[in-house]
Amino acid sequence: MPFFFLIQFMKTLLVIAFCLLLICCKSKNSNNVTFHTVSIEMMQFEPDTLTVQPGDTIQWINKDIVSHDVSHFPDRNWHSDTLNKDATFIKVATDSFSYFCSIHPTMRGKILIEKSN
Amino acid sequence: MKKLLFFSLALAPFMSACNSNSSETKTETTTDTVSTMPVDTMATTTPSTSALTDPQIASIAVTANQIDVDNGKIALKKSSNADVKKFAQTMINDHTAIIKQATDLATKLNVTPETNPTTQSLLDNAKMVADSLNNKSGADFDKYYAQSEVNYHQQVIDAVKNTLIPNTQNAELKSLLQSVVPNLEHHLEMAKELSSKLNK
Repeated sequence: MPFFFLIQFMKTLLVIAFCLLLICCKSKNSNNVTFHTVSIEMMQFEPDTLTVQPGDTIQWINKDIVSHDVSHFPDRNWHSDTLNKDATFIKVATDSFSYFCSIHPTMRGKILIEKSN
Repeated sequence: MKKLLFFSLALAPFMSACNSNSSETKTETTTDTVSTMPVDTMATTTPSTSALTDPQIASIAVTANQIDVDNGKIALKKSSNADVKKFAQTMINDHTAIIKQATDLATKLNVTPETNPTTQSLLDNAKMVADSLNNKSGADFDKYYAQSEVNYHQQVIDAVKNTLIPNTQNAELKSLLQSVVPNLEHHLEMAKELSSKLNK
């Protein structure tokens, strides 16, 4: 009987671990790339500073009432389309960069690349 | 310049709508610069009873946003300054989005925005400012528009935070007004930067 309970306990642990993986905000593919989300809400990028690994994917999602964009700061040498509510923009991070909303220029954010040793 | 003062005074009803005390408004004018905002002592008085209903608040919110859309359209038409035009377009886009959010919510809540003395006062004074804008041109227009946007956004922010939000009954309407404040504050910063740049 104790062995039966041990099996049940192990099964429960496996289910919990699986659920934790599902609800985690980061997902990993076979190449160990992580997917990050930056929320645009109340005139802010949240988080405004995000540290990622090279090759990670970042998705910005506009949850604000007004439209925004995501533009390289300061020279806007790359930028998203205008993002209406619920629209998204995706970028793969290869280098650290600063960005801003060119429509509301005091909204700023940073992506920092954490170089692995 | 006096018309901008009248416009600023139009927002005094925001502050007075929920107060039972009489107010005293002191204003200053200058002949060469855009006039400073008037001091409204009622802005600091805690209201004893709510005199605004949610339909009236909805009307005030929509009207206040529409005024800035209209002024932005004047600026787009009259200004040849790229920074002014970009600012004006942002005001049009943002305030239009806020109006849509407010009217969608009003429809959902089955609330009909109710015109009231505050709404009418806003409209009457907005007309005077629009007339001033239409009578100006070139750099004068740009500076006047930028400064009027600074004044207007400051007063709207004060009114929303100190009068409309505290007196809103419906939780969703209150939440919408609260969510708009960061946008208004951002607009104020943008207007100040624009005004500063134009006055260099």
